[in-house]
Amino acid sequence: MRPILLVLASISLYSCKKEVKLNLDDAGPHIVIQGEITDASGPYIVKINQSVSFGSENSFPAVSGASIKISDNEGHADSLTESSPGVYATQSLQGKPGNTYTMSVQLLDSLYTATSTMPYPVVLDSITFRKAGAFGNKNIRAVPNFQDPPGIKNYYLFNEYLNGLLVTKDIFVFDDRLSDGRYFSRDLRNSDETLHEGDSLEVQMYCIDEPVFNYFNQLDEAGGRGGAFNTAASPANPVSNISNGALGYFSAHTFRSGKTKVHIE
Amino acid sequence: MLLATIFAYLVPDNFFLTEALAILVPPNKIFLSMQPKRFVFFLYIWLLPVMASAQGRHVVSGTIRDRQSGETLIGASVMLMEIPYAAVVSNSYGFYSISAFPGRYTLVVSFSGYTSDSIAVDLAKDTSISITLDAGSRQLQEAIVTAGRNNNVTKPLMGVQKLSISEIKDLPVLFGEKDILKTLQLLPGVQSAGDGNSGFFVRGGNTDQNLILLDEATVYNPSHLLGFFSTFNSDAIKDVTLYKGATPAEYGGRLSSVLDVKMNDGNNKEFHASGGIGLISSRLNIEGPIEKDKSSFIVSARRTYADVFLKLSKDTSTNQNSLYFYDINAKANIRVGAKDHIYFSGYFGKDNLGFGNTFGIDYGNVTGTLRWNHIFNSRLFSNTSLIYSKYNYDIRINSGNNNIGITSYIKDLHFKEDMQYYANASNKVNFGIDVIQHTTSPGVISASETSSFNPLHLQDKHALESSAYFSHDLSLSRRLNINYGLRATAFTIMGPGDFYAYDKAGNAVDTFTYASGKVVKSYFNLEPRFSASYKLTAGSSIKVAYTRTTQNLHLLSNSTSANPTDVWIPSSNNVRPELADQVSAGYYRNFHDNQYELSSELYYRDLKNQIDYKNGAQLIANENVESQVVFGKGRAYGWELFFKKKYGKFNGWVSYTLSRTERQFSEINNGSYFPANQDRTHNLSIVGIYKAGKKWTLSADFTYYSGNAVTWPTGKYEVNGQIAFLYSQRNTYRMPAYHRLDVGATLQGKKTKKFDSNWNFSIYNLYGRENPYSITFEQDPDNPSRTRALQYALFRWVPSVTYNFKF
Repeated sequence: MRPILLVLASISLYSCKKEVKLNLDDAGPHIVIQGEITDASGPYIVKINQSVSFGSENSFPAVSGASIKISDNEGHADSLTESSPGVYATQSLQGKPGNTYTMSVQLLDSLYTATSTMPYPVVLDSITFRKAGAFGNKNIRAVPNFQDPPGIKNYYLFNEYLNGLLVTKDIFVFDDRLSDGRYFSRDLRNSDETLHEGDSLEVQMYCIDEPVFNYFNQLDEAGGRGGAFNTAASPANPVSNISNGALGYFSAHTFRSGKTKVHIE
Repeated sequence: MLLATIFAYLVPDNFFLTEALAILVPPNKIFLSMQPKRFVFFLYIWLLPVMASAQGRHVVSGTIRDRQSGETLIGASVMLMEIPYAAVVSNSYGFYSISAFPGRYTLVVSFSGYTSDSIAVDLAKDTSISITLDAGSRQLQEAIVTAGRNNNVTKPLMGVQKLSISEIKDLPVLFGEKDILKTLQLLPGVQSAGDGNSGFFVRGGNTDQNLILLDEATVYNPSHLLGFFSTFNSDAIKDVTLYKGATPAEYGGRLSSVLDVKMNDGNNKEFHASGGIGLISSRLNIEGPIEKDKSSFIVSARRTYADVFLKLSKDTSTNQNSLYFYDINAKANIRVGAKDHIYFSGYFGKDNLGFGNTFGIDYGNVTGTLRWNHIFNSRLFSNTSLIYSKYNYDIRINSGNNNIGITSYIKDLHFKEDMQYYANASNKVNFGIDVIQHTTSPGVISASETSSFNPLHLQDKHALESSAYFSHDLSLSRRLNINYGLRATAFTIMGPGDFYAYDKAGNAVDTFTYASGKVVKSYFNLEPRFSASYKLTAGSSIKVAYTRTTQNLHLLSNSTSANPTDVWIPSSNNVRPELADQVSAGYYRNFHDNQYELSSELYYRDLKNQIDYKNGAQLIANENVESQVVFGKGRAYGWELFFKKKYGKFNGWVSYTLSRTERQFSEINNGSYFPANQDRTHNLSIVGIYKAGKKWTLSADFTYYSGNAVTWPTGKYEVNGQIAFLYSQRNTYRMPAYHRLDVGATLQGKKTKKFDSNWNFSIYNLYGRENPYSITFEQDPDNPSRTRALQYALFRWVPSVTYNFKF
C-alpha cells in the first residue's frame, strides 16, 4: 500500500529529516556468496565477499581461495576458476531451463551448498513507459510487457541499466500469486525520479525460482523504501538458499533483455 | 456459600458451556435455541441466597440526571448518609438502587463536576426517587458529602481510568482536535503508538488487544487519517472508561484492555446547537427533546478539510487529490412509562484518500445499537441490546491497463442481555449473555480484462462468539469489599469454507471442506475475574486483582504505522485463542477532602498464543495467510503511579509508569525473550490546568518516554549491486527518548443565556524537539561510498486555533 504511505508523508507538513550518528554494533565479517547461472552463454560468475561494519566505506573485501563446484541434474559438473580476487567463473557449463543446479563452495573448513532450479523462459514483449505518482511527484516508470504462463507459479526479477549503469536503489520482483496467466503490464516502481526522457534504458528480465524470489522480496522489505513511514517493523536478514549461514543467494534463472530510449507517448 | 453454589453448577455439568453450545448452532436460530427455562432455573438457584439476604429491607431506586439537559449521569455516587460504607454507583443508564432496613435516612448523591445533593428519605416501603444534579462544582461544604467521592478507594475495581469530557476540553492537542484517545495516553499504563498517533498500547498489549466500544458496539478501526485522529468526536461523548486488564466479567474478547465509550443521549428539555471551527476540521452538534422530558435526540458531525487546501493548488496532480474524513454520531431515546427506556444510537465514519483518478481508498466504521432498558422491579435492572458493527475498506486503482478494486470488511451482529440485581447495600450481582456473529471478508479483488491481476474472492469467514457471565459485588465487612465473577466464552468457527493444514514450511498439506452451518472447530474458555479492596483508613485502601482474558479475533499488521488495510482474522484450526492472565496489586489514597488522589499499582501479565510474522510474510489477499504467522508467548510487568488534583483553580495530574514488555518466539532470537516493539521503560506525563480568572484557562502537558525497542543493522554487504544491511538480533537497540511540551489557552467569550463561545489556542511541541518518528538506513546519495542513518521527525511547533460556540 505504498500510495497510503505517500499520503502519510504529505500529512507530515512539519516533518523533517536529518542524518544522525548512531552507535551501531559490529557483528564482524560474514561471508556473502552471490552465484548465478543463466540460459545465456557462460561463463557464469560466483562472487564471494565479506560484510563490513555499518560505519565503514562501501568496499567489501573479496574472499579468495575458495574451491567452487557447480553441477546439474544431467551429470554435468564444472569447477570454477578464480578470474580475479573473489570472482569465480565457470569453464564449460551451459545453463538450461528446467535443470536443477547445485553449487558447493569450500572455504577453509566451511562448506556452503545451495541448489536452484532454472524456470522456463518467458518472452519479454516490450518495454513501455508510464507517468505515475502523486502530489506533483511525476516519476517516469518503465513497464515490462509480457504474458505470464498460466497454471504454473512464476517469479520475476528485473534489473534496470540506465545509460549503461545498474540502478542499485531499487529491487523489482513480481510473482504471479494474484496474476496467474495474465498479461503483465506492471510498473517497475523506482523510489526516486530515476528515469528521464531521452535516457537509454536496458531492462533485464530474469525468471527465478521461488526461494530466490523470497530472498529478494524479503531483502526489499527489510530495506524499506526510505521515508518516515516506510520502515519494516522488525527488519531481518532474508532467508538465503545457501546453507551454513552464508549471506547472499544462488540463482539459476533465464535471461531476457529489452533496450529502449525513455519516452512518454 | 454463593461461590460454592455457582461452581457446583458450573464445573460438573459444564452448565455454561452447554448453554453456550445450545446458543451456537445453527446461526439463524441463535435466539430461539437458548433453552430459556434452564437458564432461568439456573439463575434462580444461583440468586436464591442473594435474594434471601434482601429480606426485610426496602429499596430506594431511580435515575440520576443532569438538571439542565436531562442527560443521565453515569458513575454518580449514591449513599445513605447513615450507612456510608454501603455506597453504590449509578450504572451506564444512570440507574441506582440501594436498600436498607426501614427507617429515616438522608440520601446523598454526588458526581464529579456537579453540585452534590441530599434528600431525606423515609424508608417505609420500596421507594423510587429520581434525582437531578446541577452542573458546576461549587465548593463542597460538608466532609460527609465528599465521602461518596472516594469510590476509587473503596470499590474493589482496579486498573480503571475514567475521563470526563470536561477534563479533556482544555488540554492542548495536535491540530486543536480534542481527542479522548490522545488524552488517555497521558494516563499511567497507556502508551502512545507514535507521535501524534491515536493508537495506544495498554500494559504491554498490542493495539489490537484493546476492545474499543462505542455504545457497546465494537469499533474495529478507532482512527482516522491513518492514526492521527481518533474516530471519537468528543462532542458526542458522555463518558469514557478504560479498564487496564482487570476488566469486569461483563466485558470480554480482548486481552489487554477495554475502552468503553458512551455517547450523549441528547438534551430532553430544550434545543441546543454547538460546534467548533478549527484549522483542519469543523464540528456541529444539534440536540433537543422530541417530547419534553420523555425523549430526545442528538446528532454530532464533523469533517476535516485538509483537501480544500489541496484544491487551491494550481498543480493538477495535486488539486485532484482528496484527503478527508467525516463522521456522524446520532442517538435518540424515549422513555416508555416508568419502567422502560429505549435508545437507538449510531455512528458512521468515512475516510477518503485519493490521487486523481489513479488511486483511491475509502474506509470507515458503521455501528448501530438498539437498546431496551427494563426495570423489573426496584432491585432488578435489565438491558437488552441488538448491535451492528462493520468496518470496511474499498480501494480503487486505475493505472494504465490496471483497473482494480479491492474490498474487505468485518461485520458483527450482536445480541446482548445484561441484568443487574441489587440485593442489598452490600450485595450486587451482574449477569448476562451475549452472542456475536462475526463475518469477515478478508479480500475481494475485481480486475478488468486488461489488468495484470486476476479477480479473486478470498473466502468469507464465519464465527460465532457466545459468552455468559456473572459477577458479584460483595461487602464482607466495612473494610473488605470483593468482586468475583466468571465469564465463559465459546468461539465457534463455522462453515462454509475450506480450511487448511500447513507443514512447517507453510505449504498447505491438507484441505478440509465444511458446508454452511457446520461447526469447524470450537474453543471454550473460562475467564475467572477477581478483585478485592481492603480499606486501611477512611481515605486509603489496598487492592488485589486477578483476571484472565481471551481473544479470538487477531489483527494482522506488520507495518510500523496503523494501516487501514490491516485485516482481522478469527481464530481457526491453525490460530488458537490468545490468552492473558494478569495479577495486580495497588495502594490508593485520597486526601484533603478527596481533592487529591494517589494510586500506585503493580501488575504482571502472562500472555499465550501471541502472533508474529514470518520474514517476508504476505498478509495481503492471501488465502493461506495463516501459514504466514508464528506463535509465541509474552510477559509484561510494571509499576504505575498516578497523582491527581481533582478540584480547585489549579488541577491536573502526574502519571508515571515503569514497565517491561517482552515476547518469546522459537523462531526469533534463538527462542529467548526479547523486548516487544512497544517496550518503553519509563513513561511520564504531567498535566496542568489553571483557571486564571473568569476569562482565561491555561493548560500545559509534558510527556517523556524512553525509546521503543528497534532492530538496527550490525553490518552491511553488497547484493546485486545494492547495499544490504546485516541484522543480528531482534529489538536490541533503542530509539532516542521522546519528550515534548504542549501549551494551550482557552478564552471564554461573553456568556449569555442564549449564547456561549470560546477561543482555544494551542501549540503542540512548544520547544520544537525533533522527536524521531523513525530512523532508516540508506546509501548516501551524495557519497555512494558510505551509508547513513536518517531520522524522521514529524510535528514541531504545530499551532492551532479553534472557535467553539453553543446556543
